[in-house]
Amino acid sequence: MTPPPGRSFLTDALKRFTQNRLAVLGLILVSFILFLAVFAELLSPFPYDQVYFDRVLLMPFQHPEHPLGTDEVGRDYLSRLIFGARTSMLVSLSVQMIALLIGLPIGALAGYFGGAFDFVVSRIIDIMTAFPALLFTILIISVLGGGIPTIIVALSITSWIIIARITRAQILTLREQEYCTAARGIGASEWRILFRHLLPNAMSPILIALSFGIPTVIFAEAGLSFLGLGVNDPIASWGKMVGSSNAYVRVYWHLAVFPTLAIALTMLGFSFLGDGLRDALDPKQKIRV
Amino acid sequence: MLSYLLGRIFSLAMILLAVSVIVFALMHSVPGGPFDERKGRLPPAAKANILKKYGLDQPVWKQYVNYMSHALRFDFGIPFQRPHTTVAKLIGKSWAVTVQVGLCTIALAFTLGILLGIYAAYHQNSWVDTVVTFISSLGVTVPNFVVAMWLILIFSVSLGLLPMGGWGSSGQCLVDRYFCTDWILPVVAYAIAPMSVVARYTRASIVEVMGEDFVRTARAKGLSEVKVMRKHVLRNAQIPMVTALGTEIPNLITGSIFIESTFRINGLGKYFVTSTLNRDYPMIMATFLLVAFLWGVLYLLTDIAYTLIDPRVRLGAKSLS
Repeated sequence: MTPPPGRSFLTDALKRFTQNRLAVLGLILVSFILFLAVFAELLSPFPYDQVYFDRVLLMPFQHPEHPLGTDEVGRDYLSRLIFGARTSMLVSLSVQMIALLIGLPIGALAGYFGGAFDFVVSRIIDIMTAFPALLFTILIISVLGGGIPTIIVALSITSWIIIARITRAQILTLREQEYCTAARGIGASEWRILFRHLLPNAMSPILIALSFGIPTVIFAEAGLSFLGLGVNDPIASWGKMVGSSNAYVRVYWHLAVFPTLAIALTMLGFSFLGDGLRDALDPKQKIRV
Repeated sequence: MLSYLLGRIFSLAMILLAVSVIVFALMHSVPGGPFDERKGRLPPAAKANILKKYGLDQPVWKQYVNYMSHALRFDFGIPFQRPHTTVAKLIGKSWAVTVQVGLCTIALAFTLGILLGIYAAYHQNSWVDTVVTFISSLGVTVPNFVVAMWLILIFSVSLGLLPMGGWGSSGQCLVDRYFCTDWILPVVAYAIAPMSVVARYTRASIVEVMGEDFVRTARAKGLSEVKVMRKHVLRNAQIPMVTALGTEIPNLITGSIFIESTFRINGLGKYFVTSTLNRDYPMIMATFLLVAFLWGVLYLLTDIAYTLIDPRVRLGAKSLS
């Protein structure tokens, strides 16, 4: 089916996306968080690890210099929230990037060539989906120790599986299509068919899976830091802020309110964006990946 | 049917074997062990004795074979963190709590989710539908420990109505130490996400079935609205609902690490975290095997449930991915 002249698939998708109000809201939220993450040093009033021993546990607006108050060791809460965005974005975007770099080639090769390689990849996927990914992540972190690089490694180990599974399934259905037979008929090489014909057609679901993978990783990082298994002090992380607020929440409610709102808004933003992308890129498919 | 079942059980056994090898290898791949002298020095003889007692002085593969031969007889060893009990007992005790949380959550999530889904589907595009859709998309997205924090802030901190944590240890109870006021917040916080999933699936599948020709026929032949819903719509909308059930129950029954640590519930998830922090090999291993086993069995049961509900579904049919 050829699109009407002057309208490519992408402009069509763009139009569908911009007409979706929730998707645009998601894009705005995500851009705002990314902006905070990139320009954290310029935007935050204090360094994230600056400690004021005389300003411990201030309530919001109690002190003119600390609009959102301070935490239990006297660090400006607004600054820590802004730097928390950086941690969250750094972890989630790098994990999805690594997941794509590992999962896409492995899934594509397994799906296209089959054979022993496919057998091994499928068994790995079976094993990794046989128990909650979170348990495995916690085990890896307990082996490797905490910190941002370890979290990225640990979450990547479980995230590439999803990309590989989707890519493999896509390639498996697409390689039976007529255009693939036709390409083979006119003498295209296997690699050309894989890269020029199959992968571009498999990209939409992979992109959608990636965009839904980001909130999953944000949740995982926040959750691990919440449990005390994630980033180390003094790096700011929303999850860790929620976790350490637990002991003070009876009086100092602000310690719990702001980071939980930040997590919730970020996850909502990314899932609206993901929903919008899915509706724009793949209008046929209505089921969540 | 029998050969299908045998095949599934065989692959479950293979997966358990693989999981045990991977976890065992990971746990032993790093230097240091549970008896590192971080918390005080031990005389070398005493240390050698302890290592010998727990079999840690032998080569790794021998430790693995040793472990598995005991595990097959349901002897999972002694937890390093609590030497006076056994892993099987500790897991039994903590899992009992987790199952209580899970069953209450399943009951709440599925009753509310199905009712909301049916209501929203029946009053499609009304304000109720919009509210249900909005709440369910919030519930799917926002992490449960964030919801838990909000519930604590509202119901414990500001209103002072419900206890902040515990499981049968604070607040009033209905029966003995069961169904207490401190059960409410964890169950509600834990139930919101699965409830949203169930409500979504229920709504979507009912909306789809309501558009079918046989529903129009049923209405045209003068059946009452209740009968149309019960006999024609709900019966056909069951399959997607079982899909939701099947994927949510393994999660719920193995518990939430976050809910258990937010509300200080001594369940499986909380022990898993303390075990990994203390490198408690026997506990970690047994938890992994238990969770993988439960997941495998529950997914198998869901697949069997499909055939009971829908005779058109045949087990073992080839499918992609």
